[in-house]
Amino acid sequence: MKRADKRFGKVVLWFAAICLSGACMALPALEAEAAPDIPQGFDGGGEKIFKRYDETPLAVTTGTDGRRTLNRFYELRQYPGSPPRVPHEVSPSFKGDGEKCLSCHGRGGFSASRQAYVPVSPHPEYESCFQCHVPQGTEELFVDSNWLSMEPPRLGRSAMGGSPPAIPHALQLREDCLACHTGNGAVAEIRVEHASRGNCRQCHVPQVAATTGAPPEFSRDK
Amino acid sequence: MNLKRRTFIKSAAASSAIAAAGSIFPGISFADWDKVKGAVGVTWQKAPCRFCGTGCGVLVGVMAGRAVAVKGDPNCSVNKGLCCVKGFHSVQALYGKDRITKAKVKKNGKMVEVPISEALDVIAAKMKETIKKHGKDSIAMYGSGQWTIPDGYVASKLFKGCLGTNNVEANARLCMASAVTGFMTSFGIDEPMGCYEDIEHADVFVTWGNNMAEMHPVLFSRMLASRKRKKDVTIIDFATRTTRSSQAADKSILFKPNSDLAVANAICYEIIKNGWLNKDFVEKHTTFHKGKTKIGYGTEDHFKFKDKPQDISFEEYKTFLKDYTPEKVEKISGVSARDIKYMAALYGDPTKKVTSFWCMGMNQHVRGTWINNLVYNIHLLTGKISTPGNSPFSLTGQPSACGTVREVGTLTHKLPYGVVMKEAARKKAEKIWDLPAGSIDPKPTYHTVEMFRALDRGDIRFMWIQVTNPMITMPNLSRYREGALKDDRFVVVSDVYPTPTTDVADVILPAAMWIEQEGMFGNSERRTQHFAEIVKGPGEAMSDTWQIIEVARRLGFEKQFPWGKDEYIGKIWAEYRRFHDNPKHNMAPYEVLRARSGVQWPFVDGKETRWRFNSKYDPACKKGVDFDFYGKKDGKAWIWARPYEPAAESPDDEYNFWLNTGRVIEHWHTGSMTRRVPVLHRAMPESYVELHPEDAADLGVVNGEKVKIISRRGSVTMKASINGRGVPPRGTVFVPFFDEAYKINEATLDAFCPISKQPDYKKCAVRLEKA
Repeated sequence: MKRADKRFGKVVLWFAAICLSGACMALPALEAEAAPDIPQGFDGGGEKIFKRYDETPLAVTTGTDGRRTLNRFYELRQYPGSPPRVPHEVSPSFKGDGEKCLSCHGRGGFSASRQAYVPVSPHPEYESCFQCHVPQGTEELFVDSNWLSMEPPRLGRSAMGGSPPAIPHALQLREDCLACHTGNGAVAEIRVEHASRGNCRQCHVPQVAATTGAPPEFSRDK
Repeated sequence: MNLKRRTFIKSAAASSAIAAAGSIFPGISFADWDKVKGAVGVTWQKAPCRFCGTGCGVLVGVMAGRAVAVKGDPNCSVNKGLCCVKGFHSVQALYGKDRITKAKVKKNGKMVEVPISEALDVIAAKMKETIKKHGKDSIAMYGSGQWTIPDGYVASKLFKGCLGTNNVEANARLCMASAVTGFMTSFGIDEPMGCYEDIEHADVFVTWGNNMAEMHPVLFSRMLASRKRKKDVTIIDFATRTTRSSQAADKSILFKPNSDLAVANAICYEIIKNGWLNKDFVEKHTTFHKGKTKIGYGTEDHFKFKDKPQDISFEEYKTFLKDYTPEKVEKISGVSARDIKYMAALYGDPTKKVTSFWCMGMNQHVRGTWINNLVYNIHLLTGKISTPGNSPFSLTGQPSACGTVREVGTLTHKLPYGVVMKEAARKKAEKIWDLPAGSIDPKPTYHTVEMFRALDRGDIRFMWIQVTNPMITMPNLSRYREGALKDDRFVVVSDVYPTPTTDVADVILPAAMWIEQEGMFGNSERRTQHFAEIVKGPGEAMSDTWQIIEVARRLGFEKQFPWGKDEYIGKIWAEYRRFHDNPKHNMAPYEVLRARSGVQWPFVDGKETRWRFNSKYDPACKKGVDFDFYGKKDGKAWIWARPYEPAAESPDDEYNFWLNTGRVIEHWHTGSMTRRVPVLHRAMPESYVELHPEDAADLGVVNGEKVKIISRRGSVTMKASINGRGVPPRGTVFVPFFDEAYKINEATLDAFCPISKQPDYKKCAVRLEKA
């Protein structure tokens, strides 16, 4: 968590942050240097606008809380594609039945209690959440592990410049593209900007066939 | 996160630059684990999951010779692409840092690393010496339901066939024996008549002492999915403690330990009383019987029991049931007469298809065979059996308890086909195994508990333990650990990690684990599942099958074990199949197993049999009848009058609590594998004792404070869990047994079902102290 907190980040936030830090630097100057005879709200309600901005959580203005980064996303997994662990506390008597987990993860949105956008489950039809997603009770290991994971798929792998990239992961349990790739709870690096075009697989096809082993060899008899 | 806004924005700008670099220059990753380097592309290969008896198909992702990922196998009808948290992380169990990679032999009291060939020489020499000194029945093999089918087959062939001792047992005795004797006494043939497809057909599910949400999570999800789709599905959790399964069920009914016997009889009483009896079915397909009563508990050495079945009439059976009116049973069981009538009405309703599920709750039971019989009675009286959705379903806890122990017959009285007591079965085995007539001893020797007692007494001097951890799992553990450590006992342990069992070993062999070898498992629904060698084992790790072959050859049995290393699994399968060459048991050929994600037996004319004993689906049935319970000579299933009898040890004034033990979803068996899976250990780092909140208040402990659990045999001190994952009723505590730091089996009692010889880990008396 510590490391991840420091690593907010995504291109969107980067740009947003640069613009906003400019605006913020102007603010203290404004408070300190306003001449006493000039009425506040000089700029057609400008102060109100800045105050309103100041009171609004960053998450609302940028569409992200800065906490769900792609790195954080992979940190919660043992390998790309494994079920992520539960990154937040759950009370010991919490039974993990779907109604409770899905009350947030079923529809997403902003969670006031956690001050964060909630990621949406791509498979809300499965209700026995603790079957696959477990919280963490300790950082320690029983014994060390020689486990090696694999590199996550690279982003932006178009076959040609600008062509729609193929789907780099298996689709089972993750058939609902919109759950992970759209909305404020989505990891910014993998969020799409054209979610209104709902038929995702019109342009994006799986990169890895779902079958096992090599496909049968093809030869033309002639 | 209360950073000041400006510092926040600054740090956000800085760190987002770092993160952005990660996405702009792919390949830089910040997640914790080191990655496989320099390999491109993952290949996926099928295997059954390593853990429970559900038999989920998994696809193992391999990169540069290492297993790096898991997907649920969408081609496997068991799980259709879904796994549980153990399955999804199963491959991590291969890579614990303390894998045993070299053989070790005890020299001058110290374990010393040796080449594996030297260790195998030592084993063979010790076996010869022990047989010479103490006779053939002084050596024993103790395996497990985690043995692959070839592992168990060669063990049986070497010990029962070549060496002529019936000292072959497996830890499935501790887990499935009552299920087997239940099937044998009711149907005359082992293993469930139904299949998992029953889940999509059933309208009502009754789980008998079975916390499926944690123990068979994928099947539980399948049940919940069916309820969601069909809307009118009812799930009843009938148990001795409140669990995640109770939470998800439509109704949770709690009963007092051992009183399930009385409740099952009361359900039958109600079924007959209310006219829900399926008369036509009962007349055509069943007969009525009773056996001995007050049959004991087997806590003493050399305990013997043989049941004496007697025919009774339907009227006599009805008279027997008069002791089990819902009102009388309410007093025994604590279940209200209303709830008993409700359950009976669900079973009795002719418009509803009912599936019963059970596992350890009914099997680890001092009357395990009886309670299996009694649940079959309910299904037989209503005719709700062997049809889609109507299914009394005995689940298994280990990946190949069915495949290796029940089908191969790695129990003292069994052979791959039939029992050692039957001459025809012995002759068949001697012929297939190319052994002289009379090689196989017609007398069974020791069941598991008695085998460890024999080791303690000195009747057994040499024991070879493969793929299991009895120094955690034996009830009344201290006696058996001390026995194994006595002078002049020689213990060989084949395993993948150090355990309390390797601690008592004189020789340790490094075993290949799961997909480091080729093999087959057999799951709960008669499905045989093949897996190839997908990755190489570490160091000198060797499959259990090959270890046995090497020792057999050193003992002079080259003729019986002639196969080469690149072909042995296929050859063993072909030989083993000859035992089951009939329409009631026929197994699929090797090539079919290799190609498919599991194949059900009986496999007849290229087709799997999904519902046995029903002539619509089962080609082994006689022509012209709707049902044929062909395990019994007259084709009729047995309905048993079995009474309620109390547990071996019940709470009294001094030891005033029930102790119940079991599992949690994160850990499997003794945790020797799952505790080395980071995400599983981190989620469930230690065991605990669950108490009822009022009992905890009386004791003066709060969550996390330590409680000493004391029985007549031993004591364990561990943290209290109050209103945690499960809540036992007042007067009961529950402890998960996976944690070797808290050996709860030092407190449990080695009482067992006299028919199945399976111990009861769910009931003994303890008292509690605040520690």
